[in-house]
Amino acid sequence: MFRKILVANDGSEGAKKAVQAAIDLAKRYGSELHAISVEERLPHYAATVGEVVEAKQEAADFFRKVTQDAEAAALAQDVPITSHVLPGHEVEAIVTFAKDHGFDLLVIGFMGHSRIFGRIWGSTSQNLAKLSPCTVLVVK
Amino acid sequence: MTESLWAVAAIWIGMALVATLISVRIGISVALVEICVGIAGGNLLSLHSTAWIDFLAAVGSVLLTFLAGAEIDLEIVKRKWKETLGIGMASFLAPFLGAMAYAYWVAGWSLEASEIAGIALSTTSVAVVYAVMVERGYNATELGKVILAACFITDLGTVLALGLLFAQYNWWLVAFVLVMAATLWKLHAVTAWFFARVGTKISEPETKFILVILFALGALAQAAQSEAVLPAYLVGMVLAPLFLANRTLAQRMRVIAFSILTPFYFLKAGVLVSLRAVLASAALIAIFLGVKMGAKFLGVWPLAHAFSFGRREAMYTTLLMSTGLTFGTISALYGLSHELITQEQYAILVTAVILSAIVPTVIAERWFDPGVEPPEETLTRRSSDPISPGA
Repeated sequence: MFRKILVANDGSEGAKKAVQAAIDLAKRYGSELHAISVEERLPHYAATVGEVVEAKQEAADFFRKVTQDAEAAALAQDVPITSHVLPGHEVEAIVTFAKDHGFDLLVIGFMGHSRIFGRIWGSTSQNLAKLSPCTVLVVK
Repeated sequence: MTESLWAVAAIWIGMALVATLISVRIGISVALVEICVGIAGGNLLSLHSTAWIDFLAAVGSVLLTFLAGAEIDLEIVKRKWKETLGIGMASFLAPFLGAMAYAYWVAGWSLEASEIAGIALSTTSVAVVYAVMVERGYNATELGKVILAACFITDLGTVLALGLLFAQYNWWLVAFVLVMAATLWKLHAVTAWFFARVGTKISEPETKFILVILFALGALAQAAQSEAVLPAYLVGMVLAPLFLANRTLAQRMRVIAFSILTPFYFLKAGVLVSLRAVLASAALIAIFLGVKMGAKFLGVWPLAHAFSFGRREAMYTTLLMSTGLTFGTISALYGLSHELITQEQYAILVTAVILSAIVPTVIAERWFDPGVEPPEETLTRRSSDPISPGA
């Protein structure tokens, strides 16, 4: 049913559950499984180049660990997984990636913001569900 | 009543902590947030600077300038010298002359205040440009490297103007120039030898060595009525190859600067801004920002176009080079502390500088992005990382 599955992985608890669900689905349907992590914006209007370099390094260290954990979980189930780390805005980058690479299922963890923020802007998961070009599974 | 030293310290570091937390939450540089928190503190809590805060702030600005100089990639400046020098100098001269002329002939500021306005609005923020470039992956392209190198040349123009325009042309200046020239000539070799000899220690001999050089040249600069940021930037440039090869040392110096020194500098820069003056002069602030962006357009766009940049790339380059933050505030603060500009003029200039960090960047990203796809990250594994099976 699902040939290509994309799971959004930001390293949060919700994302870990999403990765696990995506691995199960990929195993069941024999699907191609990809994970995407989005490195959100670097500090804008910085005072020194070093500040940007360090922020970039911190993000790289974090996502290296996140990617490795997902790969280890997939391997334990004998499911091949391809990881991607992209810079940009979370919703925009994931939606564009899913569109450009023809995924037919996007698996995301429930990512809540504060009540006020969520009410005004919508949560990340709401926005992804609204804008994604394919079926979206929100794992809680 | 005498203010308690520790109470003042607690309030200022408390503001720095608040700025850091806000900066982490909203993803905007801590420097900009510190200025804004400083503005709030100065206007709502009537905070003011003290002698020891002035000292920490001054050291912070010198270290910031040194670190900015130490980030220069001299190779690209040498390899693409025509484009780099052409765009960099035009990017300094056009807004410097434009803003100075407007301040003097239209706004009716004194000559010295107009010169400070010209210098403060001539700058380009390398860090602002770099962050945008890295996000889009342009920093690895020839276009990106030329823009970044040109930004350093613009900043060099700014510190030279600040260091030489207000100096007293007497024997002290001759002594300062001679000592600085001799120091810069031998500095790279002596520093490399010293670093190799002492090695990395917890007592930070390398950092102390750099500070001695910066403070001694700063003292001479002050005696010549020049400005300590001039030798700091030049020392940074000379030592850039050493620092680019030794990222750990640069990182340790940044930790010192960003934890205890630059917060005082940026907070002080904000505390001195009167919101009343900002509101009363909103139109003039907008005009100064427009003059800066217009002059950058006149200076940079034709050259960028002439150097075979496409129309969109040339516009993108021009807008990114219209940004400014650190050197703009340093110049304005210099003007205020040397009584070359009034408190109101300082508020106008700093606000225009802050806006120049934000407005051109937003316009460039929103409407003139050359459209290169951001590259996927390559996360190099470290030897300490567990190897995931199948990798």
